[in-house]
Amino acid sequence: MSGSGFNDLIHAPTRLSIVSLLAATEWSDFKFIRDSLGMSDSALSKQLTTLEEAGYVEIRKGFVGKRPRTSVRLNQTGRTAFEQHVAALQEIVARAGASVIPGR
Amino acid sequence: MSDNLRPDEAARALDEVRQRQANVIEATMIPAWFYGAVGASNVALAVGLDVGGTVAVATGAVLFGLGIAGSVGWVTIGAQRAQLRNDLLGPLGILAIVALPALVVGVSVPVGFAAEAAGWRYPATAGTLVGLVLMLVGGPVLNRLLRRIMLANRTGSRLGAPR
Repeated sequence: MSGSGFNDLIHAPTRLSIVSLLAATEWSDFKFIRDSLGMSDSALSKQLTTLEEAGYVEIRKGFVGKRPRTSVRLNQTGRTAFEQHVAALQEIVARAGASVIPGR
Repeated sequence: MSDNLRPDEAARALDEVRQRQANVIEATMIPAWFYGAVGASNVALAVGLDVGGTVAVATGAVLFGLGIAGSVGWVTIGAQRAQLRNDLLGPLGILAIVALPALVVGVSVPVGFAAEAAGWRYPATAGTLVGLVLMLVGGPVLNRLLRRIMLANRTGSRLGAPR
């Protein structure tokens, strides 16, 4: 029905939220993602590992002073996959007409 | 799975994409008070310089330093949570960011010199007060403009138009 850009891995609700957030940033702090999405550390870690294994995100661990800090970045592969997924969603919506488009 | 996805489900997914990106943009915006704090810090320094004397100048300089360090520090700490994609701003956004300080300097400095030429007792204060007003008015306007530009440039902003 839709083009080949539809991505099952990204479309999973939690991962769609994570990737959408990451797509607007060069990088994001782990805690920022966790707090923005209201997730637990373990749940977010699990989803990020899935995205990392798919080759979509890069996870960097470092220190700011003595405090550990984990930052996450959507790489070019992930960005392309996300944009293609969004395009596929837009295509589905466009085919159905404007009646299903929620308000901005 | 896309074969089974209903249009309303796709629309909801797109809405989630847009909402998440809007949330990130909102969370990483420079707070409106920042502009007023910078403008007020400049006024404090200018008052000290206009009044003259070691105590006044030192007080103005300390207030200026605290104001700038505090406000920039606050924004810097906030910026460590996430860095927005550079291309969200686009040329117009960058131009707008450059335009505000250019406007403030371009107006407040001539006002200060004009006040001095007119024999006002506090010319630097006059200039920086004008700058403060411009920051108070222009800062939120700049924020609104940047928000609008970034929302327009986010992924999926052209809903319903396959790319």
